Amino acid sequence: MNSYPAELLVQLAPVMFVAGLDVQAQQPPGNAPPTPSTEQTPAARQDPFYILSARLKDALSVQRKIGVWQPEKSKTFQVIFVNKDASFPPRKLLRPEDPQHSAAHSPLSPLTPTSPLYPDGIIAPIWIRKHTTLLPSVFVMFMRIFESPPAQAGQDDREREAEERRRDTELSAEIAHRKKSTNERGIKLTVVLMASRRMLDDPTLDGRLTYIRRQSGLDPRAALFVLSPVSQAEIGDFVRSLQDALWEPALEYYTNHSKRVRRKRNRHSQVASYQLPLTPMASAGIARPLRPEGWTVRYEYKMACFAEFRMEDQVALKHYQDAYSTLIIMFGSTAILPPRTKRWAEAKVLADCINVKVCTPPIIIGLSLTYTVAKIVKLYLYNNEHSLALSHQNSHMRKFADFSRGWGIGEETFEFWSWLARQHRVFAELLEQGTRSTLKIPSPYPTPAPSAALLAAQSLEASQMGLEAMRVLGLNPNQALQHPGFYYYMAARCTERRRERFMTALESESEGHQTNSPGFINEKKVDHLAIVLEASNIFSFLYTRAYELFRKWNPQNTQNPGRLTLWIAYRIAQTYYDSGKFDMAVRFFERIAKTYRRESWGSLLHPLLSQWYACAQQLGDVELSVRLLVEMLAYGANASEDDPDALQDDLLAVLKSTVPSVTDEPLVVDLSESKSILDTSVVFWDPEVDVGIPAPFQLILSSQHNVSLSSIPFTSLAIHFNTDVPPVVVRHSQADPDAEVPSVQRFDLGQIQLIPASPDTHEVEAALRWAAGSTIVLTGSVSSGTPTQISVSKLVFTIKESNWWIEVPIVPRAAQLEHALTAPRWLCSVDPPRFVPIRREDHTTVKVRWRNHRIQVAISHDGPAYIGEEFPIEINITNEDERELDVVLDVLLQPTEIDEAVNYVAMDDQRSTSLLKAVACGVLAPGASVLKKLYLANDGAPGERVIDISVQSQSTAQATTQQQPVSPTSPTSPSAPPLLDKTETLRTLAVPAVDPIEVEHTVVYRRPTRPQPGLADLETFESCKRDEAAAVEAVVTSTLRVVASSGLVIENVTLHRQDHKSASVVDCSVPEEDFSGEWLAGDELCNRCRVSVVPDEDHPADPIAGPGEYEVTWRRLMSDGSHGSRSTTRLPLPSLTPPSDGLIALLDAPTTARLHAPIPLRLTIRNLHPTRTATATVQLEPDATADAFVVAGLRHGRVPILLPGQEERNAVQVAGAGAGVGQPGGGGAQGTQGAVESQAEGEEVEVVDVRWDERPERVEDEEGNEVKVVKGRDGYVLVLP
Amino acid sequence: MPPQLRLNAVAFVSPQNHPILIRTFVQGQDELKYHYIAHTSLDVVDERITTAIASKSTECYLNLLYTMEDVAVYGYMTPLKVKIIIALALTDAVVRDADVLTIFRALHTAYRQSVANPFLRLNAPIDGYNDHAVLLAAGSPKWKAFRKRVDDIGKALQHRFILGSDSGPFPLLSEEIAQVLTS
Repeated sequence: MNSYPAELLVQLAPVMFVAGLDVQAQQPPGNAPPTPSTEQTPAARQDPFYILSARLKDALSVQRKIGVWQPEKSKTFQVIFVNKDASFPPRKLLRPEDPQHSAAHSPLSPLTPTSPLYPDGIIAPIWIRKHTTLLPSVFVMFMRIFESPPAQAGQDDREREAEERRRDTELSAEIAHRKKSTNERGIKLTVVLMASRRMLDDPTLDGRLTYIRRQSGLDPRAALFVLSPVSQAEIGDFVRSLQDALWEPALEYYTNHSKRVRRKRNRHSQVASYQLPLTPMASAGIARPLRPEGWTVRYEYKMACFAEFRMEDQVALKHYQDAYSTLIIMFGSTAILPPRTKRWAEAKVLADCINVKVCTPPIIIGLSLTYTVAKIVKLYLYNNEHSLALSHQNSHMRKFADFSRGWGIGEETFEFWSWLARQHRVFAELLEQGTRSTLKIPSPYPTPAPSAALLAAQSLEASQMGLEAMRVLGLNPNQALQHPGFYYYMAARCTERRRERFMTALESESEGHQTNSPGFINEKKVDHLAIVLEASNIFSFLYTRAYELFRKWNPQNTQNPGRLTLWIAYRIAQTYYDSGKFDMAVRFFERIAKTYRRESWGSLLHPLLSQWYACAQQLGDVELSVRLLVEMLAYGANASEDDPDALQDDLLAVLKSTVPSVTDEPLVVDLSESKSILDTSVVFWDPEVDVGIPAPFQLILSSQHNVSLSSIPFTSLAIHFNTDVPPVVVRHSQADPDAEVPSVQRFDLGQIQLIPASPDTHEVEAALRWAAGSTIVLTGSVSSGTPTQISVSKLVFTIKESNWWIEVPIVPRAAQLEHALTAPRWLCSVDPPRFVPIRREDHTTVKVRWRNHRIQVAISHDGPAYIGEEFPIEINITNEDERELDVVLDVLLQPTEIDEAVNYVAMDDQRSTSLLKAVACGVLAPGASVLKKLYLANDGAPGERVIDISVQSQSTAQATTQQQPVSPTSPTSPSAPPLLDKTETLRTLAVPAVDPIEVEHTVVYRRPTRPQPGLADLETFESCKRDEAAAVEAVVTSTLRVVASSGLVIENVTLHRQDHKSASVVDCSVPEEDFSGEWLAGDELCNRCRVSVVPDEDHPADPIAGPGEYEVTWRRLMSDGSHGSRSTTRLPLPSLTPPSDGLIALLDAPTTARLHAPIPLRLTIRNLHPTRTATATVQLEPDATADAFVVAGLRHGRVPILLPGQEERNAVQVAGAGAGVGQPGGGGAQGTQGAVESQAEGEEVEVVDVRWDERPERVEDEEGNEVKVVKGRDGYVLVLP
Repeated sequence: MPPQLRLNAVAFVSPQNHPILIRTFVQGQDELKYHYIAHTSLDVVDERITTAIASKSTECYLNLLYTMEDVAVYGYMTPLKVKIIIALALTDAVVRDADVLTIFRALHTAYRQSVANPFLRLNAPIDGYNDHAVLLAAGSPKWKAFRKRVDDIGKALQHRFILGSDSGPFPLLSEEIAQVLTS
């Protein structure tokens, strides 16, 4: 804050005068021979009181630092060290004895003719200085109390006391003298007596202290302290308690002042009400007394200051605001405050100061304005009322801008800008001070909540309504507080304007216009140049300050400085440029350009380059000039369509007129960071070519539409490829230098052999001249003897003119941003120019690869494959190339989705379920072929099996040169290592696999006819014994059908018995006979076998595994009649689920009978129910209509009760009475199950003719109950005659 | 009377911080100044974006970036990271966020419509172009529609400004802009 009187801005605090700590005065008064005060003996330094004083002084002086920004409200004093006899400034000029005394005024009053404010000043910094440095609110005096030396023998006590009393009286007198002067001013006097520790314990001390106080007239409270030498920490405590004790009196002191001033102000405002205003005309030229408004300002300001002393910020703010508003009224009227007078200037400062104080609050006239404003601003900021502070600051500036216009110092004058700059600067400095301690700059952007939980809590707190309201409100951008950098920047801008205005004023003066602006004359008088220089110094200072602050406030602390910083840096550079420090400017430009280039802000770069170039010119740095000119050419900076030649003319002029510092090596202008001078694109027609085949390419070089390069003396263009070959050089040659450059030219580069490189440099000639927007196309082709990737790595243009040798390297970029949307072009016709777009991405490179080997892979097989066989697949590989090839084969069997299918492939001695790797096929001479047989074995269900076959061939010539053994890549990987001369041929094969033989089973169940074991047969209870009673006979009929389309040679069909507890094969129709022979598709074989099944008692519905399997051994019948390898198909018997029975009657009758010969009919009634008994009656009903049979035996009878599992046989003799088929009887049996319901009506029991007894498998209805299926109810007998 | 917003300049900046389009609507003022303003405000935008990412905010509107000299600079970022920066003339009045947002939305729409132009990609290589180039191309002098749309929005605002007090409450603004956009 050095731009305004510091007094007006400093945060005020109660002032404390401290006397008696002067080190030199600290010679203990008790010492009779005082040591020479000029030099400090070590003894004096070790004196405890000396140390105490020094420590006290330190502790007190650090209490408070004088600062503009001091928002803490701790009870600390502004400590000033004075002499004990320090005098205060006189209240009035006249001595009190003077009779005029009561009418006299303070020396600083405008009413006092000798005052600097006479006659109409308002208030001066000196007044504040008076209160901060000359007048304390509290006076603290440190003194030594007399201590008589330790009692020595022989010394009289009375003598000692008398001595003490004498010394104390002296002390009291000194204090009383001091007390008199402080009392006059209402200043609190406090005495601190320093005594040794021994003294504290002295019983006489109390009495002595009382005596001293009484004698000196000190206040009873907080006026007398005793301190003995103590440690540092205790001193701190003492200082704190001293301040606490004196705080009240200090505040009281300032309150009294305030009251006094308020009385005076009231008196004045009353007076003003009836005082006639003096017309300014009347008083022109003569001293005018201060007007009532002025007095108001004066008193308000004083009250504000006193309030500030008391640390009552709100009261101070109020008074400052009042002062400020009155001041505004004064400024508003030229009558009250005629512009451009001394008072006016003063008032302005005051107003400014008030403003600052209000913001953190600052007033003084002239200066005071700014300060008042500053003070106001400060006070607002203490309370974090940023927008109020800013709005005050803004309205202050606006009001005074208006006033300024009224005063004739509007925006066109440098004074205005100087003043405005000062405003911004004061504010910026204030903020800077503030931010160094407690002030936080708010962000208009909602800061992120530190945690989601907190956020939730906040959102709970803030009601939805409240948030909405805030959203709607928005904010006044004018009142958004920003960091001080911005305000420094503003100040700098204003100062810059001020300089501009001043220069204009100077100019107009030199043109003869007389300027009468007093300020101007004032400034001019000093020294124009100094002013200009000072102004530039100030604003470069301000810019630098802003720059630093922006850096500080910019969180991006990476190598990338903020863009705001760059902008300010640019301003600084401009300032340097304006003030002639070109080297500094250049350094800045260099740094700034980097970011602008990277972010391609051409619009910002153009002026920068121009100015940079101007700097380079000024510095005489020709190399830099050339560099910049080339870059400007590239950007087309400052170029217009109308004058495309301007830049190249500049460059030519420089080249012709100057000499480079180094002539024997080229000046390389590297534009890799910025745009290149020509748009270049390289297009290869083919993405890939074979070794030795030329790959055509085009190199398109076009100039920008607004920059002509027609006279730039390009001498050659070197085209560097990415391989280690010498560049292709295109030399400039033009028959007619004045000929107009056509818009599209084409030159042929011819064929370029890259590997092996030709020893001579390839050179061609072409006209390397570009008009604005013209294009040169260089066409050619490259070829390589080995596989590689070819691209153009860079182009180097050489410019030679007089002594200059410049090289401009350009890297053809694949995608220059501005051309990224335009596909690269291929010139197909020069006249008219016509281009074909190349819509490939990799157009900038061409890949040279080995020629593919011509390998023929033929695969043959007789599909489909049969499940269970090893299916042969023939792979025939033929080398149709001219080279010898080493062939290796990979086979991959893809995994199938079929469950439990274990398939495998086999070749030679390798066998795998997935991959057969690197099956060597040997070296094939040209034309030779190799046949490989691959076997595919299938298992599981029918379906498709997929095989990938990869044939890799490698030229043997290459293989010998390659040290590394060839590592065959995965057969599915299509890419081989690029440099190996290797080709892979891929084949994929899908082989359907089908069953060779189908089988169909039918099963019927029969009841056994042999007698059941008796109920009591003990054998049946033995373990491991089949339960013959429950056994059912199953007859399995299996039909085997050959479905293999090729036909099979069946070698053998056998049934492998796998009898187990529940089922066993009783007999089988497949004897050991020979089925062998060729079976064609559709041939069938039928087999029957009887199986004895014992259903599980507990789980009658569970299927029972078939007790055997048919094994068919077969061979594939090849198309050529030969037989394939032997294969086996196993066909298991079906699983069995026999039905169950309850009460059943079995009728056993012979099929035929002789006439009249008796035949036995046997009826067996079985109770197969597991738990219930059965009571059955049997009834034989001969056929009523045809009396064909004669029956002998029981016709109607009752069978004894059948226990579960019991059977009853009943035999009847029947004789046929007539020939033919007859039914011996509709035999019937009725039975009742259950012992209890024996009397009930019985059910009819099924009678089954065992000859027809065939039941299908157990059938269940929806509810899981078995459904009984009964067949063969009626028994027929053929009676033969 | 609602405050009148005066649009001084508009800048569209690509995600890579390259300028797409910068238009100024102030007669006789240094156009370069707004280029600088657009460029420098990217600093603040970056800062805000960092904040937004940290708080997982998806808010496009970046609020007031800074005020300098006679302009207040506001920022907006589209979901695809294109930054829109406007400079409003600085007045001592509350600027409602809703109003600024309306302007931003209008500009965003203008931008979206312009970038959707399929002809921007007419000559592009099939697989080689990137979207960034498309954004930049939209602002290039070759394509006039984007300029026109932005200028129309600027004019609509200026028109309001000239009309001044009798143009009624502010919500009209969005209608006018909507009209401009649909016409």
